Amino acid sequence: MKMKQLYKYLFAAVLILQLIACNDNTDAEKLFNETPTTRLNNQKTELSEALLSSPQGWKAVYFTDNTVLGGYTHLFRFAADGTVVMASDFDSDTDAHKSEYAIQVGSTVSLTFTTKNRIHLLSDSNNYPIPALRAKGYLGDFQFLYYGQENGEIIFRTNRNNQELRFVKATAEDWADLSKNLVMEQNVIGGEERPLFRLLETNDGTTTHKFDFSFTPATRFANSNSIESGYSVSYDMGVGYTPTGIIVSPAVEVAGQKLSNFTYNDADGSFTATGTGGISAVIKYTTKPLVLTDDYKFLLPGKPLSWFGFFVDDYTIDSPANSPLLYAELEKVNAMLPAGQSIASIQIYANHSIGTFIYYTFVGRSALFHYVTAEEDADGKKVILKHQSWNGNTTVATPAFLASIDKYFMDTEGLYVKAESFRLYYSDPVYTFTSASSPFRMTTWKLQ
Amino acid sequence: MKIMKLLKYNKIAVLALVSITLFSCGSDDLPGESQLDFTQPEKTALDNWINGVYLDPYNINVQYKWNQNTVDNSRYLFPPEVDKVKPALEIVQTIWLKSYAAIGGPDFVKKIAPREIVLVGGVNLNSVGTRTLGLAEGGQRVTLFETDYIDKSDRANVSEFIHTIQHEYIHILNQNKPFDEKTWKTLTPGGYTADWYNYEIPESNELGFITSYARSNINEDFAETASMILIYSKDEYADFLAGIQSPFALQALKAKEAIVVKYFKEAFNMDFYALRDEAEKNTTSVIN
Repeated sequence: MKMKQLYKYLFAAVLILQLIACNDNTDAEKLFNETPTTRLNNQKTELSEALLSSPQGWKAVYFTDNTVLGGYTHLFRFAADGTVVMASDFDSDTDAHKSEYAIQVGSTVSLTFTTKNRIHLLSDSNNYPIPALRAKGYLGDFQFLYYGQENGEIIFRTNRNNQELRFVKATAEDWADLSKNLVMEQNVIGGEERPLFRLLETNDGTTTHKFDFSFTPATRFANSNSIESGYSVSYDMGVGYTPTGIIVSPAVEVAGQKLSNFTYNDADGSFTATGTGGISAVIKYTTKPLVLTDDYKFLLPGKPLSWFGFFVDDYTIDSPANSPLLYAELEKVNAMLPAGQSIASIQIYANHSIGTFIYYTFVGRSALFHYVTAEEDADGKKVILKHQSWNGNTTVATPAFLASIDKYFMDTEGLYVKAESFRLYYSDPVYTFTSASSPFRMTTWKLQ
Repeated sequence: MKIMKLLKYNKIAVLALVSITLFSCGSDDLPGESQLDFTQPEKTALDNWINGVYLDPYNINVQYKWNQNTVDNSRYLFPPEVDKVKPALEIVQTIWLKSYAAIGGPDFVKKIAPREIVLVGGVNLNSVGTRTLGLAEGGQRVTLFETDYIDKSDRANVSEFIHTIQHEYIHILNQNKPFDEKTWKTLTPGGYTADWYNYEIPESNELGFITSYARSNINEDFAETASMILIYSKDEYADFLAGIQSPFALQALKAKEAIVVKYFKEAFNMDFYALRDEAEKNTTSVIN
């Protein structure tokens, strides 16, 4: 009897299955009017038409990763036959080059640059700007997933790193002026004649804040940290070049406004971004260090012996803190010396038993002692070195080949001395000497 | 008995229901054409040349345009310069395909060949600083890197590139027919190491390995031994052996060579030395 019951239930169950099996009413779930395939095809057509719709093509400032790298401007002009003409400000070759592209359907619709062109330069494992990016190039991608359009811009996300990338309509000027981006690059790096200190100043309409500003050309990336105690804000940003200034990402946010377009002013080398209501951000030069330290006091009379050394054939020559003017002056010295002779080191001894002096050594000739006196500028936090004698002889003139470089140490405005936080290979502390009235800075080890 | 009868009817009923189920949802609408767009992009002169030289005779597909599905997406790679594709493929065709066809018979490569060759323009740099020159996957696909750097006028450059395909093809052969791994394992068991790249090649030679990379494992050792002998000329290889100081290393290298020769003879009935001579002849003809 048990068995019979079981079959009855089974029978009933199968009957019920029969009754509902062929119900194909899926109305409740129909969120779209078209099938997924049709929608993909439509997207493909939509993207294809959008790419072809702009007569001068498209412009994208590609920030591959705005936590380490800056922006690389690319211009694209797409053709219906699957070819694209492209130009980039990645390097000095800003000419347009032709290659192929495809609109591919994978998990979604994407634009892929299928044969080699300028955009692939960002994705070369063997060409990376800093050791940390070894085998990763510039973190670039050349397959962009289509995310629709907004205000005439095409929105993509990169396939590998999921970064948003917007294509904006390009103009004829964009193509003509692309090479000017690299002229602007030199302004961002800063010329030899510009002061050595740079800052970012933000103004929220009432108060200003100051941040130091240092730019790394290899990565097109800038670090900017507050110099005010108790105000620990920093702006680290990737920099993209434009013919008239720079675009930064992430934007500098001041009082809720996002400032990303900075305009260059050649008169003082500054870059200014202006918001509304008196809000602005300026990257500008200053002749004075942002933070003055007491490190100059090592040189003052009555202190124990101090010994600072700059060596031409050692790591001090490669210090990022050396200014271009220092290198230019070293070359001047060597140019004036007879063949086979060259400058080897510049060492500053303070409060040595024989006095305070700058000790110049050479390859192929004997060393020179420039005896000086050290005076304090307590307000300016500087030390002023004054000529006493060459090798103990108070009447002899400054040797001609040293006159030019030596005058920076004798700057009547004085010298700034600063203990740097970085090291140059060895554990010895690093100090820089900066002339107060000119962009001359030399890096030394403090050896005693 | 009653129970049995009921069971019988039930069986029939269930069978009937099941058959109804099978037919009931049938529909007269047959699926139409695919809605997906399968239009192939226009073929360029290069595409037609590839079809004529690789696809039609060997059934090998060559992919030089970017397709994320055939490359490692975590690596920073890019497609080759279009101008470099034909020279690269000519080198592969002349030194590899023609040499095997001449010695193994015209159908040899058709039967055992990668079904796809993927060309990548740039260097595939590893984080430890080594470069991956090629990959062979599942006996089906060979990826060749650094296509952009090919210089047909430079023998060393061509040799390195052809070394890659020879090496990867040996893997494909091994993936079809295994070599005598048992004997191989006993030759230089202590020399294998994961950080092979920290050793200079002469240092590895003196341990019985033809290159440092050969030290990564026995499969790489076999592929390196066979492919290096193939890219050496007879005299160059003799000079190489003559320069080995350690009698143990020399013996190991010779034993490995013997296994390679035996493998080609037994697995594919090919004279390995004749293949080497043919490859050398074809290498000379490629370089201009």
